[in-house]
This record gives sequence, structure tokens and C-alpha cells, in this order.
Amino acid sequence: MIKLNPAASITEEFAEKVKNENRNDRLMKLAPIFVLIGLVAVFTAACGIGFISGENLLNILNQMALPLVVALGLTFVIMLGSIDLSIDGTVGMAGSIFACLVLNSQFDTDLGILGAVIAVGVSVACGLAIGLCHVYLKIPSFMASFAFMYICKGIGMLSYQGHPPTITDPAIAALPKVSFLGIPFITWVAIFMFALCYFIQERTAFGRHIYAVGTNESIPRSVGVSVEKVKVGVFALAGFLFGVAGVIGAIRLGQGQIAIGTGKMFPAQAAVVVGGTSLAGGKGGVTNTIVGVLIMTVLDNGLLMLGVNPNIRTGIQGIIILVSVILTAPRGAKVISK
Amino acid sequence: MTKQEQDQQERGGKAELLFSAGNIAKSFAGTQALKGVDLEVRPGEIVGLVGENGAGKSTLLKIIIGAQPQSSGTMTLGGKPYEPKTPMDANKAGIGMVFQEQSLIVNLNVAQNIFFGHEKLFKSGGIISWSKMNKAASEVLAAVDITDINPTIKVSNLNFATRQMVEIAKVMDVTKRSGAERCLILLDEPTSVLNEAEVENLFKQMKKITAQGHSIIFVSHHLDEILHITDRIYVYKDGLSVGNLDTKDADEAKLYEMMVGKDTTTEYYHLDRQTVPSDEVLLEVKDLGRHGIFKHVDFKLHRGEILGLCGVVGSGVEEVCEVICGDEKPSFGEVYIRGEKMQFSSPRQALEKGVLMIPKERLFEGIVSNLSVEENIALSNAKALSKGFFVSTKAVRGQAEEWIKKLRIKTSGPKELLLQLSGGNQQKVVFSRALASGAEILILNHPTRGVDVGAKEEIYAFIREMTEEGKAVILLGDTLDEYLGLCSRVLVMRDGLVRGEFDAPAGEKPSQVDVVSLMM
Amino acid sequence: MTAKNKALPGKNEILDNIMKYFSFSAIIILLLALSLTQENFLGEMNLKNLLRDTAPLMIMAAGMTMVLLFGSIDLSMGAVCSMSNVTYVHFMLAYGESFGSPMAAGAVALLVSLLFGLGSGLALGLIHVKLKVPSFIASLGFMSVWQSAALLVTQGPESLSKSLWPAVTWYKISIHVLGLPLVLAIVLILLVYVLTRFSAFGKAIFATGGNERAARIAGIHVDRTKILVFALNGVLAALAGVFLAAKLSSSAPTIGEPFTLKIVAACALGGTSLAGGKGSELGTILGVFTVAIIENGMNFIGVDAYWQNVVFGIFVLAAIALTADRRTRGQIIK
Repeated sequence: MIKLNPAASITEEFAEKVKNENRNDRLMKLAPIFVLIGLVAVFTAACGIGFISGENLLNILNQMALPLVVALGLTFVIMLGSIDLSIDGTVGMAGSIFACLVLNSQFDTDLGILGAVIAVGVSVACGLAIGLCHVYLKIPSFMASFAFMYICKGIGMLSYQGHPPTITDPAIAALPKVSFLGIPFITWVAIFMFALCYFIQERTAFGRHIYAVGTNESIPRSVGVSVEKVKVGVFALAGFLFGVAGVIGAIRLGQGQIAIGTGKMFPAQAAVVVGGTSLAGGKGGVTNTIVGVLIMTVLDNGLLMLGVNPNIRTGIQGIIILVSVILTAPRGAKVISK
Repeated sequence: MTKQEQDQQERGGKAELLFSAGNIAKSFAGTQALKGVDLEVRPGEIVGLVGENGAGKSTLLKIIIGAQPQSSGTMTLGGKPYEPKTPMDANKAGIGMVFQEQSLIVNLNVAQNIFFGHEKLFKSGGIISWSKMNKAASEVLAAVDITDINPTIKVSNLNFATRQMVEIAKVMDVTKRSGAERCLILLDEPTSVLNEAEVENLFKQMKKITAQGHSIIFVSHHLDEILHITDRIYVYKDGLSVGNLDTKDADEAKLYEMMVGKDTTTEYYHLDRQTVPSDEVLLEVKDLGRHGIFKHVDFKLHRGEILGLCGVVGSGVEEVCEVICGDEKPSFGEVYIRGEKMQFSSPRQALEKGVLMIPKERLFEGIVSNLSVEENIALSNAKALSKGFFVSTKAVRGQAEEWIKKLRIKTSGPKELLLQLSGGNQQKVVFSRALASGAEILILNHPTRGVDVGAKEEIYAFIREMTEEGKAVILLGDTLDEYLGLCSRVLVMRDGLVRGEFDAPAGEKPSQVDVVSLMM
Repeated sequence: MTAKNKALPGKNEILDNIMKYFSFSAIIILLLALSLTQENFLGEMNLKNLLRDTAPLMIMAAGMTMVLLFGSIDLSMGAVCSMSNVTYVHFMLAYGESFGSPMAAGAVALLVSLLFGLGSGLALGLIHVKLKVPSFIASLGFMSVWQSAALLVTQGPESLSKSLWPAVTWYKISIHVLGLPLVLAIVLILLVYVLTRFSAFGKAIFATGGNERAARIAGIHVDRTKILVFALNGVLAALAGVFLAAKLSSSAPTIGEPFTLKIVAACALGGTSLAGGKGSELGTILGVFTVAIIENGMNFIGVDAYWQNVVFGIFVLAAIALTADRRTRGQIIK
């Protein structure tokens, strides 16, 4: 609560108010890091020093790979002030299609790396479709993407007709074991995706425009930036990352099935908002998300080590989403939330 | 005097014009915001625009920057016709505007904001070179004499004054890039968030800009600022130009005189029906305040009284009303209704105690446009029309028919959707609702905004009727004329504080000049 | 200005009318097509199934329509339904014998389930309204919580023991093809219809959905109305969970999951706009039947269950696109 100083003049009061807000903002910005440090401390105390052993840290890094790629895609969408709920479907669909297209136990196809390209391509197309529905048919993004979650789930299951194909391409089947500098291939893919997203966010005009559209659509519009294109582009980019996540999920599992995507949305959602990317848009970014994903992974890893029921762990994700949104939602008598 | 001006004067005759606007008119949905204003700007000149709220200053600026088209009238720039369709056209022609609400993206840095939308300039091989952009940004900032801002700092870390300087630099750069030799910068209330030292600094920059041959149009509610910084002043009133004069010939008294215009006409405001307030206090506020917005507001509202709360945008009058009607909570002070201390947490609670506001933005706050006339009239008193659990359809219909007749609402019937009514008739529906609610203390927030002349007079009559019935009214009016014509007492606020109080009994109205001199 | 103003609603009216008759004509066309091509589609057996199994969807759609009417959404209904479903059966199995009669046990278990729904709805409403969290994200959080909670109660289906069956036989009662569950559901949705159309509470819902700011300024209990609707919605979702338990005489922790999309589909097909302020429970009844016939028809023909996801997804998008308010052209939709 702000301390009120009734003796101050209105201008001083106003300046004080702004200063307070800025201070709170800075605190909120650091909060995720404190949370992460706190979590590590708590779990080290509870699980013993093994929690911060090199082995477990590497373990956490590897566990992070898939959630990170998914959360990166979601980050851009949330920076717009929109949301994408299609994750469970798109990720599972891309994984399923990929497994069907490479050498597998189910079908006579052997497209190799082209299979990955097609699978990701389909996922990009779905992202594009969500963006188009959202922007041009004026369907709220949560609803458009929610419908697409079901559509993609359907497409994914149709692709393998109920019998999940096992990947038999020896090169791909061996990939999960491949590692470089002690870090597995899949984790490298995630690191590369992070670098790519960071590059897009920081070094391209598109990345800068995402912030602007999320902050106030009229600003980019007034200088001739197409808000529609930015939005559709972001959903397509999200589709790309979900697709990549699906493919590496299938590689890790050695099999293509819709379940690759199951339960991917909540941790991603939680990671992005916990990292400090505001649902209102225009704030945060992929660096925030990496902290958020770390928090979620450490939490999951720690609870696992403590032997907590996995269902409680997923329930906690929901609570984390709620708490972080509650902490960051704009409030006031006149705010209307729908 | 700048060099250009000297040059012009040496050449003699009519000075060369950078920009001119002739007889610009603009109407929104049947009401005229601008009835025909003129403006001429010479190179290297700072022109001040003054006028009450709603005189048309902001509308004119929006037309010049291309955000809205004018309904009639022409503009020229550098002697050629000037017809901007969008703000981008204006920028390309060399006209830029610093908006009242700041238009920087707070999570980008200074350089990225300055070149927002123009990143192509620094692209090589698809990658933006930040170092090039930062260097260019430093140059842009240096052009308006800012050397102490690092272009890589995030805007969210800057204070308002610095943000404003960045915005001015950005606008300068955008207009310069048009290739125009002389630019025109529009500043809409740039000083409202600045303290004294910051205002001084802004003025210094403005002088430097004009010394380079560019021109500035400056809008402010603070007359002292206008008199201090401008070369020439235009005075607008009710969408018309009253005149213009060189600043050296102007003083506050003269400007007040020009801003206020003719006195009230007795019939228009039904002055003969102005009631004398009784001694019974219906509402009292003591030392009311909202942190950083207004404070130390004290007044009593009596039965049968119309109290005007008078002040320019940002003076705090709107916020006082929001607190009284329960929409916002006060940070300090107390509100008493009929002697009883109240703390409203919603307009609903205020209504239960008989306080109701007719809001300013009819479309966004006043009506539910896809519900029918009868539903809208019954919004505030559905409970009273209920028989047990059900709202009586007959009672709702009957009530609507009664008010349609009483207030002469033009509609095809109680079932017509509100969006099909004209502005004036929508407003009458809002009045019907307020009157039907049974509230005794009514806050009328710009009750005649966007209403045509005929309906205005009718609305004035309704307001008179309210006080005749013993209700008490707090009024925020559109013009000073309206305040003095209707109110029996006027409270003047400026910068969040009450600056004066005038009794305004029928026949002994205070002069508009006296009131306006406290407002600005 | 009148000419211009009149022109816009004209176009909207056409669209509104399309939506109004869309479900109705869809039902007729579907019924005709299916009964002509599929011999036993209108047979007593299938008709009975179709009508009876519509009940849970109808109950939940009744609640969702109210939520949509003021412009919010509740994505947690499916999960609340699952949780109530497992709660009901779990409670019966744990304490059913101690009540003496299975009917009494059923009644208490029903009460427990409904109380859970009430609590969940209240909590969701409070978080949404008082803490200003957008309803879709708040309900998404609840969805995650209740989905996990249901799995915590039981990993797989639990069946009611035979001695408890009398508590759920009411579900099988029917007159010819018209089953008791559907009758109950229709009575419920009609009650909700009356509530939204003719009570002050309902007027407040419509006003809030049409223009929340105006409703607040006009002195309507916007906050209280919203919270109550969410609470009621929670109760209805929980009731649907009990219906499903009665239908199967057992529980399943993920039983509610596929409902979420179908509920939105039914409401949207019934003409309720996602933007709020427009729609009706009567339309929702038609929407529910449309969804039920599509689903049943696809099952009957033997369309892959996988296709059904795709079809419903597309239906939802189409219906929402058609009901989207075109007057708010400039409005930013997030």
C-alpha cells in the first residue's frame, strides 16, 4: 500500500505515484529470479545436496528442452496480448505426422528429414489458420486456438489411424542418444531455438513490432505497420515452434502419437506468466520465459525427487498460473475483464 | 525575433505562410465540433491556440495531422493544397504531432522508438544494425539539443519530461525525413505532466526548433505559458475563430474577454425557472481527495440546487464526480448523504442512497445500445418494477411509454433498439432512466454533449424540472455559458484544487471572465 | 445519419436471422439425411440413446449460455463435471452403505457434488470479478486444478457396487423414447431461460453483457450478478457430472474433458455471441440438439471419433465467426 502524504501538492503526489509504480515494476521484474533461487534453496534443503549436483542440473537442462520450445512459441503470442490454447493439439499433431512420414512400423514412407519439414509445415499452417481466424473473422484468440486444439488432435489421430507408428529409421531412432559436449542433441535443438527466438525478438523489426502491437495497436498503425500481418506472423511463428517441439517429442519417444502434446499447454502457460510476460501484452520476452521454464522445471524435478504424486504436480501448474496472473493483472474500479 | 521573421518583414507586405487552414468545419453524428475556424502559421513561429473545453482545438489538430477528415474547408502547406488522409501523409508532408497521451512504446529503447516503423533504414542482409540505429538516434536527439539521453535506455526507465523530449525528437526526425525544409510540429497540452523546471526546458527546446525555421502550434490550458512562449495567439470559441493577435499585444484579461463571448440568453436556459435552493443539505463532501488527482474539495449541495463543477480537462472535476457516484473510492476525506457518512464501493450502493450519475460518454457508459428503449429506461429500477421474482413486462412497458410521452422521445416504440435512436433521443432515454430511478442527487456529466440545439433546450428544461421537484444536481457543463445559465452556484477547480466559488442566482450571474480567469 | 445507421443493423439482422434458423434447419436437414440414408437411425433404440445422452450437455450449456451472455467464458466446466462425477461415485462407495438406503446415500452424494460445484464456481467468479483476472485464463487454471484433482481421487473408472444401483436407476426411466434425464434437463434449461428473461437478475446479465460500464454506472450489481452466475454455472456443471455417473453407474476421471468444446459449440450454434449481450437459452436448446445429432450421426455412420474433433472445431469457429458482432469494427479483440 502506498503511504499517502496529505501535505504534498497534487503534482508531487502524481510524481510520487509514478515513482511507486516504477519501483513496483522493477520489483516485479526481479521476482521470478528470486522465486527461482528460493526454489533451488528449498529443494536443496529438502532433497539434499544431490539436487544441485552436476548430474541433476544436466537432468533439469534436458527436461527443460521440450517445455522451453513450446513456451518460446507461446511467449510471442502472449506478448501480443493474445493467447494460444492449441498447444496440446499442435504439438501432438506434428509429432504424429512426423513419425508417419519417416521410416516407421506403420506405413511405407521414408522421407527422412523431409518428414520433419512437412510436419513442422503443417503445424505452421495451423498457426497461420489460427491467426487468420483471429484477425479476420474477429474470433478471440483463446477461442480460435481452443477450437484448433481439437482440430489438430483430430488430424493427429487420423494421421496414424489409431495405431501409433514406431520410428524405425535408425538414424532418427539413434538421435536421443547422440550428444555433443555432454549435452544431448534434443537439448541442443532447444538451445538453438532459444537463440533463434532471441534473435527474432531483439534483432528484427518484426520482433520490435510485436512489442508495439502488444502495447498499443494504434501506435504501430499510425506509422504504417500492419498490425494484422504482425499478429498472423506471430501465430505462424508459434505454430513453427510447436511443430519443432512435436518433432523432438516424437524423436525422444521413438514413436508418433497425439499424447506427445498432452499436458504441454499448462506448464508452458505457467512458465510464460511466471517468467514475467504479462497477459496484457507488450511486456516480457523470451529471456523471461527461460527463467519461467527453469522455475517450472526445477519445481517439477524437485517435487518428483520428493516423491509427490504427478497429478498434484499438474494441479500446482494451474495454481501457479492463477497466482501469477492475479499478481500481475491490472486492477481498479474501472478495469473491465471479460 | 527570429532571423526569418526579420527577413520577412524586410521583404514587406504579407508575410510568407507555412501553413494555412481556412474555414474548417467538422461535424460528428449531427453535432458540430467545428463550425469554421481559421489558422495561419508563418515559418519560425510558435502559434498558441486557446479556448475553453470543447472550443475545437483538439479537433482541429486531429484534422491537421490527418487523423480525421474535415467536413469542409481547405488547408494549404507551403502554398500548395494539403489533404492528409492519414498521419503518415502528414508526416511525409512535414507535419508531426506530439500527442497528449504519450505514444512511445515503453518496453523498447529510445532509438527503437525514434525509428519505429522505419527499421528498414538500418537493415543490412535482413538484420538490423543496432549500432547504426543508435548512432542515428544520437544525432536525432542532438538535433533538438539532447545529449544526455543514451539511445539504448528503455523508455520505461525515463521520466515523463524526458519521454516527451524523446517524442519531440522523434516527431522532428519523422517530419525532417519528409525532405521538407520547414516542418510544422503540433504540441497538444505538452505541459500537463511536467513540473516548472521541465516546462522551462521544453520552452527552451521549442525556441531552438523555431530558430531553425520550423514552426510550432502549441495548445495549453495554462494562459501564462501561452503568453510566455508563443508569438501569436488564436482564440477559439464553440468551434469558431474569435480572432488572433500577436502575443506582445495580449494579456490575460484580453484573452479571457475573447474566450467567453456573449452573455446567456434567459429563455434558452429557462432562467425564470431557476429555483432558490432550500437550506436542507442533501450531500456534503469534506476534504475529499484522490491521490495525485485532486484534494481538499469541500462543498455542500442543497435541495433544489444546481451546483456547477467547473474546470478544464485534467482539473479534477470529472474525478470528483466519479468518487461521489461510487465509481471510484476516495483516498482522503468523507462524503455525507443527508448527514450520514457514506463509503460507496460501487455505483449501486450510491444509487441505494439516491445518488446517480448521467455519464459523459453516452455510448460507452450511458446506454446499452443493443437493448430496447424500455429495457434501457428500466436499467436502474428493475427491482422496483418486479412482482415477486419476476420483472413485470407490463410495468416496464408502461414506464417506457410514460417517459417517451413526457420527454417527447422520438422512437417507433418502446421495443426499438437504442442504437437506432439519434444522439439527442438516446440522451433523453438516459434522462428517463435517471429520473425513473428515483435518485434525488443527480450528477450530470456533460448532459448535452453530442446533442443538437433543439434537444439541448429540452434537456435544460428537464434539469429545471428536477430542481423544481426538489432534487439536487451537480453539473459538469460543456461551456461556461451553460454553467452560468443553469447553475445557482459554481465551484471552479484548477490542477486538482478548488480555486473559487461563485453564487449565481437568477439575474445576478457572475461574469464569465471572472470564472474563466480562475480556470486557466 | 439515420440512413447509415439503419443500413448497418439491416446487414446484422440478416446474419442474426441466419443464426436463428441455422440450428433449426441444420437439425431438420441432418435428421432427414440421416434417416433416409441410415435405416435404423430413427429406430427406437438410437433415438432413445440420442435423447437421453443429450441431458448432461444440455445442463452445462444452460449454464454456459448465461456466462457467455455477459461476455465471459468458463473453460473449467468439463473439469468440474469430471471432478463432481468422481466425487459422487467415490462418496457413494466410501459412505454409501452407512446411510441405510441407497436413495439417501445418493441424495447426500448429490448434495456433496453440487456443493463442490458451487464452491468451485464461487471461487472462479470471485477471482474473475474481484481480482480482475480474465475469465478464460482463470477458468483455465481451474481446469488444470480440477483435472488433476479428479485423477487424484481415482486413476481409472470406479463402478458403483450393485447394492447402490437403486440410487441411479432414475436415469433409465423413460416414456417410450423420452427419458427422464432429458425431461429434467429441459425443465432446468427452461428455468434458466425464465430466470434470464424475466427476472431482475436476468436483466442485469443482459445489461452487463451489452455494456458493462453502462450497467455499472446505472447502478446494477454487476459484480454480484457475475459471481452468482459463475456459482450457478459451477452447480450445473457438477449436476452434469452426477448425471454422467448415473448414466454409466460408474465414474471416469476424464469424462468431462470432451464436453468443453461441445458446450461452446452448442451455445454458439444456438446463436449466443461470445461478445456478450446477445443470445438465448432457447437457441441453446436447438444448438444442443444440433451437436447431439451431429455426434450421434457420426457415431452411427461409423465416422472415426477422430474426425469428430475436427468437425466440432470447425463448427465452433464457423458459428462464432457468424455471431461475432460486426458493429464493433474498430474494437480490438485479443
